[in-house]
Amino acid sequence: MPRWGMVIDLKRCYGCYACVMACKVANHSPPGVFWARILKGESGSFPNTVRQALPVLCMQCDEPSCMEVCPTGATQQTDDGIVIVEQDKCMGCKYCIMACPYGARYSVEKWESYFPDGLPLSPYEEFAKRAWEEKSGCGVATKCDFCRDRIAEGREPACVEACPADARIFGDLADPNSEVSILIKQNRGEVLHPELGNKPKVYYLAPR
Amino acid sequence: MTAATQNRIEEDVWIPTCCGQCYCMCGIKVRRQNGVVTEIAGNPDAPSGRGHTCVKALASPHLLYDPYRVNYPLKRTNPEKGLGVDPKFVRISWEEALDTIVHKLEACREKDPRGAYFQATTTQASEIRFGVIGFMKGFGTPNYWVSGGGLHCGNGAHFMNGIMHAAWSIIPDFAHCNYALNFGCSKGHGAGHVAVQNATQAADARARGFKNIVFDPFQSAQASKGHEWVPIRVGTDGALALGLINSLLNEHGIYDAEYLMYKTNAPYLIRPSDGRYMRDKETNKPLVWDLVDNGPKAHNDPSVTRVEYEDVAHEVALLGSYPVDGVECRPAFDLLKEHVKKYTPEYVEQVTWVPAATVSRIAKEFGEAAEIGSTVTIQTSKGPKKIPKRPVATHFFRGTQGHVNSGWTCLSVDLVNHMVGAADTWGGAFGLGAAVGSGYEGTGKPYQIPYPCPDGLMVAKTWVYDHVPYPMRVPKPPTRLDLHDMFPTSIYNAFTITSPRWMELLERFKIPYKPDVMINFGSNSVMTMGNAEAVTENFLKQFNFIFSFQLYITEFEEAVADIVLPDACFLERYTPAVSFPSTFSHPQGEDDWGWSIRQPVVEPLYERRDFNVVMLDICKRLGILGKYYKGLNDSIGIRYGGEMDEKYKLVEDGSVEHSWEDVCDRMLKDRFGEEHGLEHVRQKGVFTWPKKKEDVYWKWFNPVRVPVYFEYFIDSGEQIAKLWDDFGGQDFFDLDWSRFKALADWYPCPTHTETKSEYDMHAFYWRAVMHCNSMTQQNPYLDEMSQEDPYVYAVQMHQDTAAEKGLSDGDHVWLENPEGHRVKGWVALTDGIEPHHLAIAAVAGHWGNYMPIAKGKGTFFNDLVEMDLPHTDPLTFNQDICVRVKIYKAN
Amino acid sequence: MDPKVNGQIQTEWGWLVAIYLFLGGVGGGAYTIAAVNGFMGEGLALSTRVGLWIGFPALLIGSLFLLADLGSPMRAVLAGMKPASSWIARGFWIITVFMILAFLHLVLYLYTDIGGTVLDVIAGAGIVFAVLTMAYTGILLGASKGIPFWRTGVVPVVFVVSAVVTGHFTIMLGMTLFGEVAVMGTSLRTMALEAAILVALEVLVILFFLQAAFKLPDPRESAERILRRRSFVVGYFILGLAVPFVLMLVVYGSLAQDGAGISLPLVAVGALLGLVGGLILRQSVLVCGALPTLNIAGFQFRRIARPKERKPSMGMLPPQ
Ligand SMILES: Nc1nc2c(c(=O)[nH]1)N[C@H]1C(S)=C(S)[C@@H](COP(=O)(O)OP(=O)(O)OC[C@H]3O[C@@H](n4cnc5c(=O)[nH]c(N)nc54)[C@H](O)[C@@H]3O)O[C@H]1N2
Ligand SMILES: Nc1nc2c(c(=O)[nH]1)N[C@H]1C(S)=C(S)[C@@H](COP(=O)(O)OP(=O)(O)OC[C@H]3O[C@@H](n4cnc5c(=O)[nH]c(N)nc54)[C@H](O)[C@@H]3O)O[C@H]1N2
Ligand code: SF4
Ligand code: SF4
Ligand code: SF4
Ligand code: SF4
Ligand code: SF4
Ligand SMILES: [Mo]
Repeated sequence: MPRWGMVIDLKRCYGCYACVMACKVANHSPPGVFWARILKGESGSFPNTVRQALPVLCMQCDEPSCMEVCPTGATQQTDDGIVIVEQDKCMGCKYCIMACPYGARYSVEKWESYFPDGLPLSPYEEFAKRAWEEKSGCGVATKCDFCRDRIAEGREPACVEACPADARIFGDLADPNSEVSILIKQNRGEVLHPELGNKPKVYYLAPR
Repeated sequence: MTAATQNRIEEDVWIPTCCGQCYCMCGIKVRRQNGVVTEIAGNPDAPSGRGHTCVKALASPHLLYDPYRVNYPLKRTNPEKGLGVDPKFVRISWEEALDTIVHKLEACREKDPRGAYFQATTTQASEIRFGVIGFMKGFGTPNYWVSGGGLHCGNGAHFMNGIMHAAWSIIPDFAHCNYALNFGCSKGHGAGHVAVQNATQAADARARGFKNIVFDPFQSAQASKGHEWVPIRVGTDGALALGLINSLLNEHGIYDAEYLMYKTNAPYLIRPSDGRYMRDKETNKPLVWDLVDNGPKAHNDPSVTRVEYEDVAHEVALLGSYPVDGVECRPAFDLLKEHVKKYTPEYVEQVTWVPAATVSRIAKEFGEAAEIGSTVTIQTSKGPKKIPKRPVATHFFRGTQGHVNSGWTCLSVDLVNHMVGAADTWGGAFGLGAAVGSGYEGTGKPYQIPYPCPDGLMVAKTWVYDHVPYPMRVPKPPTRLDLHDMFPTSIYNAFTITSPRWMELLERFKIPYKPDVMINFGSNSVMTMGNAEAVTENFLKQFNFIFSFQLYITEFEEAVADIVLPDACFLERYTPAVSFPSTFSHPQGEDDWGWSIRQPVVEPLYERRDFNVVMLDICKRLGILGKYYKGLNDSIGIRYGGEMDEKYKLVEDGSVEHSWEDVCDRMLKDRFGEEHGLEHVRQKGVFTWPKKKEDVYWKWFNPVRVPVYFEYFIDSGEQIAKLWDDFGGQDFFDLDWSRFKALADWYPCPTHTETKSEYDMHAFYWRAVMHCNSMTQQNPYLDEMSQEDPYVYAVQMHQDTAAEKGLSDGDHVWLENPEGHRVKGWVALTDGIEPHHLAIAAVAGHWGNYMPIAKGKGTFFNDLVEMDLPHTDPLTFNQDICVRVKIYKAN
Repeated sequence: MDPKVNGQIQTEWGWLVAIYLFLGGVGGGAYTIAAVNGFMGEGLALSTRVGLWIGFPALLIGSLFLLADLGSPMRAVLAGMKPASSWIARGFWIITVFMILAFLHLVLYLYTDIGGTVLDVIAGAGIVFAVLTMAYTGILLGASKGIPFWRTGVVPVVFVVSAVVTGHFTIMLGMTLFGEVAVMGTSLRTMALEAAILVALEVLVILFFLQAAFKLPDPRESAERILRRRSFVVGYFILGLAVPFVLMLVVYGSLAQDGAGISLPLVAVGALLGLVGGLILRQSVLVCGALPTLNIAGFQFRRIARPKERKPSMGMLPPQ
C-alpha cells in the first residue's frame, strides 16, 4: 500500500501560479477556492532582499488535526494516506477549517460564477458547476485530495503535471527508493510547522 | 470525476494544438467533453513546452467562452471618435460588414492602395505572416506595423541580435552555461519568447548550480531566483556593459583572441582618416594583418581564416598599428579596447548605481567562468568535432532595450559575449529562438544557414520580416506613412505617425497619399503604444475608416473602430506554422526541431470567423486572390526557409480558389513531403525532426564573422542624414545622426537628465507571468490570480521611500510625469526594489466598458510614455519606457 | 514586507457562531448560579427560578443559531458521531444532556413538589454539565490548531468567566423584570456586589489573555486586530465591563441593608450592557482569528489579505 506524498523544490519553483491554475481547472473550483496556493514571501532588507514563493496545498497529514476535530466522521484518511472529505457525511460546521494549520480547507455556500451575476453560465461554467457540485459540493468542507481520481488513472496530480519548473514531485513515501523518498533524504526535506505534530506528507527542499 | 458524470459523457477527447495567448507558441492538449472545452494541458510531443504550459494557457477556457467576446459583426453608429466616446455599436450581418469593408477598400485602391494600413498584434505573430503580409502584397500597400510600435519588442533587440546572431534575441545555453548576466529580461522566469521551455531549462540549470546574476531595479522573478540580484538604475545597462568590457579588456586583460581573430571583424584594419575599413586596392576586400607573414591579407584569405575550430590559420593582429599603402592602420579591436577605457568602474557606478567594486568583480568572475581556451567534443553529422566551451552568457530584452539608447545598449550587452567568444557555441549565448538549421532531411526545408557578405559579415538566411538586419538597406526617399523606407536601422517608428504634424510631414516628404483605411488584427494600440491621447488623436483619428478583427471590444475599438469583426480565437482556428519562422519563438538547445500548428478544438462559436479565412474572402471580393496567393507564396519562401515547390504553390493567376485548410495543407506538404500534410500533423499537433549538433552550436561550423566595429553604420548615417536634410526634415525633428558610428557608447535617457527635483522617482514596467500585455486581465481566472499576488496590480515602492513621503501600504496614489500626464494606482510597499524606483506590471488599468473584469485593475503605465523625439532612440527609433514621475496621494 | 499588511483571518465563523457560544455561556452560567442558589435555600428562590427559566431556553435557541450556521443542517444529526476526538461532537452530547437536565429541573422545580434528593441529584448533575457547557464554548476554540490566537490556553478561562458574568447579569435582568422589589431588594444588593467582583475578575482575565497573545508572533497579529476594533474597545471593554462595574457598585452602595430604594432601571441597564459586552467579546475573538504564518528557510509566509475587488460589475455586453 503506497503512502502518497509530495516534494516541492523551492529552488526550482519560481512562483508562476501554473499549479494553482491547473488545480482550479482540474477541480473546477469556484472563486476564492485555492486547494493549491502560492504564497509570496520576502526576507532581508535592501539590497539584500530576496523573494520566494511558497506553494501550499493540503499536506495530507499523517496526524490530521482536521480529521481529529471532525464531529461527523466526514473527514477520513484513505489507506494510502490521503485525507478526504466524504461529502454526504459533512454537515458543514467548518470546524476542520479552524483546525487546519495550513489553511488548506475551503467551504462555499453555493457555487459561484466567475462572471458578473445575472449572466447565463457559459458551457464551460455549466460543466464546472456540475463537476464541482458532484465531486466536492456546496455547504461542505472541501480540500485537495491529491487528485486521487487522476492517480487512479495512473496520471500525476494536475499541479504536478503542470509545473513548468518540475518543482513538484509526487510519489510513494513508503518506497525508500522512490524519487520523493530519495530527494527528502538527500536534500534534507522539511515540513511546515513540524512542532504541531500533524506529520505532513508534503516536503519542501530549501530555496538556495 | 465521479462515476455519475462519466456515464453522462459520450465524448471525451484530448486535441493537440498550440497556445496563442502570447507569442511563445507552446504546444498544448485541449480536453473536449461533449463538445465543451473543459481542461488544458501541455503537449509532451511539442518541443516548445514539452508537456508544460504557463498559467495563461491553463486559464484559456474562459477566453473561449467569455460572455464578453465579440460574437457578431458590429458597426459603429456614432460618427464621433475618441477616448471615452460611446461608439454605439450595433450588430450587423457578415454580408453588410464585408460589403462595407470591400467598398471602402475599393475606394482606397482607386485613390492609392497605399492608403491602406495594416496594424497587427504581436501576440498573434504566426497569423500575421499570412493574412497580413499576403494582403499587403496583394493589395499593394507597404504600410504595416505590429502594435506596440515604437516600444514594441523589436526595434533595438531584434535588429541588433539579427546582426550578431541572425536571431530574434539571445539567451544562455541553459543546459551548459555556468554563469550568466541577465540584463532586464524575464527569460526562463515568466516571459520571453519561449517562456515555458526556458522556465524548465532555467530550473534544471539552477539545480545544477548555474549562476544567474540579475541586473534589475526590482526583485523580479528572475532576480529572486538568481544567484545574485544587482539593483540597477533603469536605462543604464549600456554603460554597465561597456564598463564590464573595459574591465575585462583593460583591467583583467581577459578576451578570447582566437574568437575575435576568426569570428569577428575585430582584426579588420581601420583607416584613421574616416574610420572605414582599409580595403584591398583590387578586390576591395577589408584587410587584416597576418602576424606570421607580417603583411596585410584579405579578411577571407584561407591563410587567415578558420571556419571550423580545428582548422589551422595564421594569427592576425588585434592590437597595434600597421602600415598599409603608407597609411598607419589599427585593428578594429585596438580601437574598441581604447574606446571603452572611459567606462571606468567609477564612472559606471555614477551612472548605474552599481558599486564600482561590483562591476570589476563581476567582470572578473565572468571572464574566469568563460574558461577561455577550453573545448568540448560534440557528435556532429560529420563525426566528432572539437569546439570551444564557453559556459558564460549575457542576455537581455525588453527592460534593457526600451530606452533612448536602445540600439547601442543592445549591442553593448551582447558584445560582452563576443569579447570572450561565448556566442552560439557550447555553454554560451545562443541566438533565440534557434536561428540556424539545415532543415528536415526529407526536403531540406526550412533551410536557414547564415552566410557571409562580401565583407565577411553574417547575413541571416531567413528573417521574419522583409528587411534582414544586415546588410543594411540603402535609405530611400520614403513611400511609407511612417517614412520607414529611409530609416534602415529601425523596424517601426512611432514619433513620426504620432506627431501632431504627421500630415505636414507627409507633404514635406512628398508622400502623395494620406492614411485612409486601417485594418486592425488584434492589437489594442490605444493601450500598448504609449500615451493614449496622442495615439488616438494624432495617429488613429487620421484614418477615414477602421475595421478591426477582435475577440473583445477593447479600448481601441471603443475609441476608433468603425466595424468590428468577431474573430475566432486560437482554440477555434487553423494556423499552418506557429513555432516557425524559427528566428521567432523557437525552442532552445539540443531538443528536436518542432513545427507546431493550430487546429480548431471547437468550430468557431456564434458568428465568429477566423481572420485568415475572412482575409481570403475579402481578397476574393476585391478580385485580388491571385496576387494574394502570390504574396503568400513569396512570404513563405522568405520567412519559412525556402521557395515553395511549383507543385504546392498556390495558383497565382487566381484560377483556383484555395480554402484556408488547403493553404495550410500545401505549406506543410511543401515543407515535409506529400505524406506529411495537414491530416498528418494534426495527429500530434506538431511535426518534429532531430536537430543537428552543428546547428545548435553553429558558430564554428560557419564561415561568417560578426562585427564588433560597426563600420557600415557610418555610411548609413551619412546617407540618411543627407536624405533627411534634402527634404528639410530638420524643420520637424532635429534628429541626432551622431549615433551612426562604429563604436558602442551609452547615452542618457530623459530620466537621467531630468532637472525638476519633485520628479524624483523612476517608474518602469515589468511583465507578470499571468498577463500578456493588455489582453489577459479580462480572464477572470487570471484576474483572480493577479489579486492573489501581492504585486501584480500594485505600484511597487520601497518602504523607506514611502515612509519619507508619508505613504503606507495600499494607499491610492497618482504618478505624474514632467509632461503633466498622470495615472492612478495603489502602492505595495517592499524592500525588494531600488528606493528611487516604482515598478508597474502588465499593460493594465483598462477603462473599456466592454471588458468589465479587466476594468480598473492595475495601473495604465503607458499613459506616462511619451512618443516624441526626446523619448526616441535616434538609431533604432525605439521608445523610452522609463519615466521620471512624482508620486502623491490620491483622494 | 510592510508590517501594516494584514495576514489573513478566518472568515468562516462570525455572528451566528458567536451568538451560539454566547447563549451557551449564558445558559450554563445562569443555570449554575440558579442551581447553586437553589442549594442555598429559600431566600434566593427568585434568582433560582429566574435562572432556571433562562438556562434551558438559552441553550435551545443557541443551538438553533449553530444549526443556522451549518452548511448542511440536514446532516446535523451526525454531529455526535465522534465524541472520542471532536469537541463539537462532545459539545453536542454535553449540551444535549445539559438541556435535558435543565428542562427536568425546571419542570420539577416549578410544577411539582418533588424535591429533596431527586432534585438535588438532578441539580448536581445539572451543575456539572452546565460548567462543562461553559468550558466547552471556550475549549471548542482552544482546540483549533488553525488559529494560534485561540490556542494560547486562556480562551477557555475567559469564556467561563464571561459565561458566569453574563449568566449572572441575565438573572439580575430577569429579576428586575419579574420580581417584586420588596422581596428581592436584599438579594439584588448582594448580587450587584457579586457582579462587580466577577466583572473585575473578567477584566483581569482579559488583560492576561491579551498580554499572553502579544508574547507570540501569530497571536499578536490577532491581538493587534482586536485592539483596533472599536466594538471591542468601546463596546466590550468600556460599555460592557467598565460601566456595568461602576453601576453595580453604585447599586450596591445606594441601597440600604433592607434593599429599600433600589433603582431597577440602573440594575437593568448595567446588566444589559454586560450582556451585550459578552456577545461582542465572543464575536471579536472569532473574527480576529488570524491564520498562522508559514515559516521555512528564513522566510515568513503570510496569506496577505489585501482588499479584493468586489465581483465585477456587469459593464456592457457586445450587442448580440
Ligand atoms: N509599458 C509597456 N508597454 C508595452 C510593452 C512593455 O514592455 N511595456 N511591450 C510592448 C511589446 S514588446 C509589444 S509586443 C506590444 C504588444 O502590443 P499588442 O500587440 O497591442 O498586444 P496586446 O496588448 O496583447 O493586444 C493583443 C490584442 O489582441 C487581441 N487578440 C488576442 N488573441 C486574438 C486573436 O486570436 N484574434 C484577434 N483578432 N485578436 C486577438 C486581444 O484581445 C488584445 O486586444 O506591447 C508593447 N507595449
Ligand atoms: N507572461 C508574459 N510573457 C510574455 C509577454 C507578456 O506580456 N507576459 N509578452 C511577450 C512579449 S510581446 C515580449 S516582447 C516578451 C518580453 O520578454 P521580456 O523582455 O523578458 O519581458 P519583461 O518581463 O518585460 O522584461 C523586462 C524586465 O526588465 C526589467 N527592467 C525594466 N527596465 C529595466 C532597465 O532599464 N534595466 C534593466 N536591467 N532591467 C529593466 C523589468 O523589471 C523586467 O523584470 O515576453 C513575451 N512573453
Ligand atoms: S507551477 Fe511549479 S514553479 Fe510554478 S508556482 Fe507552482 S510549483 Fe512553483
Ligand atoms: S493540511 Fe490541513 S486539511 Fe490537510 S490533512 Fe493536514 S490538517 Fe487536514
Ligand atoms: S465541516 Fe464537515 S468535514 Fe469539516 S469538521 Fe465539519 S463535518 Fe467535518
Ligand atoms: S494534488 Fe490535485 S487537488 Fe491537490 S493541489 Fe494538486 S492539483 Fe490540486
Ligand atoms: S507562454 Fe505564451 S504560448 Fe506558452 S502557454 Fe503561456 S501564454 Fe501560451
Ligand atoms: Mo513584444
